[in-house]
Parts: sequence; structure tokens; C-alpha cells
Amino acid sequence: MTTPDPMAEIRASFFVECEELMEALQDGLTMLDGGDADDETVNICFRAVHSMKGGAGAFGLDDLVRFSHRYETVLDEVRAGRLEPGHDVVLLFMRAADILSDIVHYSRDGLPVDPDKVEPTLRELEALISDEAEEEEAEVTDFQPMTLALPFGGPPADRVVRIRFAPEPDLFTSGNEPVHLLRALAALGEMQITPDLSEVPTLDALDPEAACLAWEIVLTTNRDRAEIEETFEFVEGLCKLSICEEQSGLSLPCLPGLPPLAMPPAPDAGVSPSAEVRPRLTLTAPPDCSDPEEGTPPPDTAKTHAPQPAPATPIAVESPVATAARPATTPPKATVRVDLDRIERLVNLVGELVINQAMLSQSVAQAGLPTNSPVVQGLEDFMQLTRDIQDSVMMIRAQPVKSLFQRLARIVRDTSAAVGKPVRFVTRGEATEVDKTVIERLADPLTHMIRNAVDHGLERPEARLAAGKPSEGCITLSAAHRSGRVVIEVMDDGGGIDRPRVQAIAEERGLIDPGQAMTDAEIDALLFMPGFSTVKQVSNLSGRGVGMDVVRKSIQDLGGRVSISSSPGKGTCFSISLPLTLAVLDGMVVDVAGEALVVPIGAIAETMAYREQDIRSVGPRTRVLHIRDSFVPLLDLGVELGFRPAKESNAGSVVLLVANEGETLGALIVDAIHEQRQVVIKGLQQGYGNAPGIAAATILGDGQVALILDPVDMMAKAGTRPGQTQPALAPTG
Amino acid sequence: MALRDLLHVMVVDDMSTSRGLILQSLDGFGVRNVRYASDGPSALQALNTQPAHLVISDYNMPGMDGLQLLHALRQSPSLAGIGFILITGKAERSIIEGGQKLGMNNFIRKPFESKDLLNCIEAVVGRL
Repeated sequence: MTTPDPMAEIRASFFVECEELMEALQDGLTMLDGGDADDETVNICFRAVHSMKGGAGAFGLDDLVRFSHRYETVLDEVRAGRLEPGHDVVLLFMRAADILSDIVHYSRDGLPVDPDKVEPTLRELEALISDEAEEEEAEVTDFQPMTLALPFGGPPADRVVRIRFAPEPDLFTSGNEPVHLLRALAALGEMQITPDLSEVPTLDALDPEAACLAWEIVLTTNRDRAEIEETFEFVEGLCKLSICEEQSGLSLPCLPGLPPLAMPPAPDAGVSPSAEVRPRLTLTAPPDCSDPEEGTPPPDTAKTHAPQPAPATPIAVESPVATAARPATTPPKATVRVDLDRIERLVNLVGELVINQAMLSQSVAQAGLPTNSPVVQGLEDFMQLTRDIQDSVMMIRAQPVKSLFQRLARIVRDTSAAVGKPVRFVTRGEATEVDKTVIERLADPLTHMIRNAVDHGLERPEARLAAGKPSEGCITLSAAHRSGRVVIEVMDDGGGIDRPRVQAIAEERGLIDPGQAMTDAEIDALLFMPGFSTVKQVSNLSGRGVGMDVVRKSIQDLGGRVSISSSPGKGTCFSISLPLTLAVLDGMVVDVAGEALVVPIGAIAETMAYREQDIRSVGPRTRVLHIRDSFVPLLDLGVELGFRPAKESNAGSVVLLVANEGETLGALIVDAIHEQRQVVIKGLQQGYGNAPGIAAATILGDGQVALILDPVDMMAKAGTRPGQTQPALAPTG
Repeated sequence: MALRDLLHVMVVDDMSTSRGLILQSLDGFGVRNVRYASDGPSALQALNTQPAHLVISDYNMPGMDGLQLLHALRQSPSLAGIGFILITGKAERSIIEGGQKLGMNNFIRKPFESKDLLNCIEAVVGRL
């Protein structure tokens, strides 16, 4: 159970704790900025920075100590009422928090901190420190410790123990090494050791494998005899040993009948080499007599003193986990930190459980048992339990998006400063919980979208004033749960998408035909086309070779979709809709040309029987469905996926109405609906590339592999490629 | 039996990192009866159930700071005699003098080496 390095573990947990402290600090600063700060808010900020400093000091992270020390001192100024936390001061605090966060990361990764990034802010902080604070730093040195009267009648007094240790000649053959033993003994107190050379033979008679030295030891210690004897435990019978106490130990009454085995093992300098003890001992310890070259030890008495039994660095036998396992009165927090890999494994196992349960259900159904049979009843309960377990497991990974939003707040600050546009950043729904893996993979696309919003979305301050808006732009980032998905929106109150310009650029780039009539939504969608960039001169911020097409791709990889809405003069809103988790999906299993396919329930607005009279043909290949006074595109899934040629008639088929965020996009023809069930999402292999309209795959109850459709993507693809003949995906058999 | 086998210690620190470091050091000294709490009130509660000889507490904690904990200990008839070591990032005069008035036995500045903590403890309880 011993972990390799408990210090490394504590160090790692320090950096995790730093993230929590950074979050508390950011929270506090946000409150300070909002003006609704009381003393406790400042306290929270101070404590967060102070705690980071404390931990950093313990691990010798000097950059972190230095910066947090200055930062903490300035926060203390606010605490003491000597500094008013005005807007500018809070802004500096926020910048300092950003830098502090950087230093934490650099320290964690063992990277050097760039002084150019740190020094200016450090100087700004220093400028805010008053003389009084400097004075206060003068530390107390005249404190006298107060000894404590313990109920044990005082610690055992030191006494002198004389030991003679004379190994038998065959000691070495048993694998024992007197040096280790003497070192262990030295750790028990103050030791004087004199080698007895009287038995050392002349060189020609020397047997290098036989022990011939003996030692006289005078040990001043407060340890009891049992502990001293324990040191010689392994050489019992292999040596002549005499232990003689000059003064009876006062501690003796304290240890009636304590078996020596119950004593903690005396730290053996040979086993856990302590940097403190070892070098001194190696200088003075008698050399190994098996080496005749050095067989004559110096005759002078070697005096060694082991200051304490503990190694200088806490190399403990017990891991901190084991320490925590002691009967702790209060758990430090009602949380445990778990390796993400373990949860990953649990999620996968639950996935397997879901598949297995489905297979079992299917077998039972095929067996044709009556519905009131105990097996079927039991299976129902099992199903419910499986679902509950699944939900609970998914909850483990769910995290509020707050930490992500805080990181993005920094992106806003940085971008705002870089492009010279003052920005107010508003967040909503920070408590919305999303799968941790989703959150992590959202960071990049959202960063890019936020940069875009500041860089391209917002007008320059003068333009805003001319348009009758406040000079400070506003970026709103919001998260919310909506119909089983998470919707994240990035909104700006800028000028909106300049559609004529977008269209002109798309024409220029040959993305669309000149003069092509396009709806607003179609023009907006051009922003997602690969290679599209509305900025002539690539700015050093958004133009990092990543376009909105890449953003969309990363969102799609998460099973999400991104859409734009924009109104001229008022602003633009990018909306990302994501599944709650990457692992499971509520799906409808449908049959298309004998192939089972899964359509996500969330995308299906309605199902209906295929009726010839509702279908209109527009052009040779395009058909539309007439539904409630409107027409939506109708696609035959079998044809779209290349499973079969178009049928003469689809009579008897089923139509699925596909909707996205409440808007009906189109309809899909499938042959039949099998069932509605949860499926475990299995990613498609890279080799498939990005198959249009296909999101992933799954394993059904009968063990069959089925593709999971992305109907919205499918409708979108069909919409942008009218009259396509290329099948999206050929069946592989 | 050595003192380290008999001594009961309560460690109070809200930050698991620094708490871990103290526990780690105590473990290294061979002190076997160690409990911990992450805040003052729960430490008091635990000490009322089972007392200890020595409390090693951080100063900088939310809610009840180290000196407030010391004050509460000294106010309690059953816990007033407990030894108290304060761990502080800053040995500010106001903190140390405040502690002195309340009967603080010793203090140690952060960051500290394991051996500093040992010296600090031994100055109060004698050789471990």
C-alpha cells in the first residue's frame, strides 16, 4: 500500500487545490467588481492567494511565492481599509489573478516563468503597497515557547547505555551488514563508537569473508531497551551482544508489557537514506571489514549524533491515503478526488451493462414469457436500476460550466486589451452541469468564438457611439439545459453580420455563384465554410489559421451543432447545442432496407405514416412533404445512405419529422420503427472519416452494430448539395 | 515507551495540501495518534469527544481562524490545558502577541521544513 512518493502525491493535490483557490479568487474578484463586496469577499480573495503562497513555499516554488506574496500584501491593504478597491484596482487584481494562474500552471509543469509577463504587474502591485504594510512585515522574533505539562510525567529522560557488539565470523554469510545496524542504532540517540581491532588477524591470515571487528558503543538515549534490542533482532545468535544500562530509564513504568513488535520500526538509515544522517555516518562508520584494503579503521572515536529518529525529509512508510484512513473525526470535505481514468472505466462498464441489459431483455422477449411472470417483472426493475446507475455515473462526471466560463472571462479581457475595445462580459447559467469531457473539449472552440465576437462582432467604440450604443461592448455567454441538451450561446451586441459583404467575399472566393439568390440564414452559414475569412488582414488574434469551419467541426465531434442568428445593428448570437453526455443517447431504432439505424430521439419531432397525397415533387429528385400548411424537404434514408435505389412507391413506410431547436427542418422516410431505447455511443473509427449524416455507431441488444444518424446534419447536407448523386455511405455488408 | 507513541495530536487546516504536509511530517516523526479536522468548529467537536495533548492549527482559515480556535479551547474547562501550536504564513506582531495573550505554546512560520516542525513541537512537549 506504500505509494512510491507521498510528496509527489501531495504536490499533485496542491495544484488541484490551486485550481479551486483560483476559482474562489475569481469569484471574489467578480463580486468586488460588481461593487457588492463586503469584508468577507476581500477575505476570501486574500485567503485564496495566501493559501497558494503557503503551499508554494512548502514545495519551493519561488516564482509562485514571490508573486502571491506581493498580491497578498496588496489584498491585505484592502482588508485593512488602506486601499479602496476601485474599478482600476479590481482590474489589476484580475490581471494579477490571470498571471497567478499562469504561474501555477508553469510551476506545475516545471516550466520557467517569463519575467516580462510577470514583472510589470508585480510592479503595479508593489506601487499600491503603503509604508504601513511594509512596516507590518517586520516579524516577531522574541517569542518564547511555552512548555506543556503532559500527563505522562514528562518525557523519558536520557540515560547512558553501553553496548558491546561482536559479530561471529560468519555474520556476513547471513546477509547482515554491521554498518546498517550501527546506523540504525545511531538514530536512537547520541552515539559514541569505538572499534575493537584486537581480533583483526594479520593480512596473510585474513579471511575477507569473515567478520573480525567488534564495537564498543556508548549510546545516550531516551529509548527503552526493547527498541535497542530490536536493532539487533536480525543478528540474534550471530553475534555476542551485551547491553548494559548505567541508569535505569524513567520511562520504564510507561511501557508495561508492550510487545516490542508493536513498536514502530526504527528508521533505518540504510533503508530510507536520509540526506541528513547518512553522509555524516558514512564518514565515521567503521568500514566494512570484508574489504582488507580499508580494513583498518581509524582508531579515533567516532562521535555521531542523529538529531532525531525522523528522516529529514518526510519519507514515511504510510502513504497520505493511509494517514487519511485513520479514524478521522471530520472528513476534510465531503468530496473525494478520483482519477478520471477510473470514472472513464466506470462509464465504459456501465455502457456495457446497458448493452447487456438490452440483450437480456430481448432474449426474454423472444422467449415469449407472460408479462406478469417474475422474470419479466424482475427485468423491469433491472432496467430501471440500470438507468439509475447510468444517470448516477454520468452525474459523477458532470461539472458546472463555471470554471470554463471563468477561463473565457480571461480571454475576453486579453482580447479586449489587445484590440482596444472595452468589453463588458456577462455570464449566465454558470451552474449548468455538463460532462467534464465535453467541457474540456469546448474550451478551444469557445475561446475562438469569444475572440471572434470581440474582434469581429463588436464595433470600435467610436462606431458604437455613432450608432447610439454605449462605447463599451457587451459579450454574453450563457449556458442552459434545453430539452435534454445543453445550449451554450455566445452573444455580442455588435453590428451584426454584414451579409452583403459576406456574400461578396464568398463570391470572390468562388464559394458561391455570383448573383446567387440566398436567404439570410444561407449567407450566415457561409461563415462556416472552410477557408472563409471576412478579415482581409489576418489579425493576430482570431486569425490563427482556425476558421469557423474548425469550430463547427469540433462542436460536431462532440455530437453538437452550432447555429448563427444575427440582426443588423443589434448583434450576433452563436448557439451551440450539445448532448449532455458523450456516452449514451436516447434513440429510435428504425429499419432502412434491412439495416438497423438509430435516430436520436431529440431530433425527432414527430412520426407519421407515409401518405402519398402529402408528397409533392419539385424537380426530378427533390420531394417535399406537405404538413400543416408548410412544406419541408423529404428524403428517403435508404437512398440517401446508398442502401437502395429510389422506390416506385414508399407506401407503408414511416416518416420522421426532423427538428432542431424547435424548428422543423425536414422529413426522413424509413421502412419501419422497431423500438425506442437508450444506446451506448461507440465512436466510428478514424478510417471512416467524417461520414455526412452519421454521428457514431452503437451495439444493439442482439449484438448487431448499428449506425447512429445525425438527422440534422443529414438534412443540412442534403440542403446544400441539391441533386446529389453520391451516396453518403455505402453499406459494408 | 517514547513520547511519540503516547502523544495525541490534532491537526487543523482547511487546505488539504498543507494538512497533508503536516500529517506527513508527524508520520515521519513516528507520532502515531494523529487526527485532523478541516476547520475550527469540527476540531472542537472532535476534541470534546476525544481530547488530545496538542493542537497544531493553521492561522488562516475561513470562519474561525487559528487564534479564535485557541480562544475557544482556552475558554473550555475540559480543553483549556491542551497545547497549541499555530502555523502562520506571516509572523505578524499582532497575530503572535494575540496568541501569546491567549496562551499559545509555540508557533511556526510557513513554509517550514520537517525538522523545523519537530523542533517547534519538541520545544513544547519535550523530546518525541
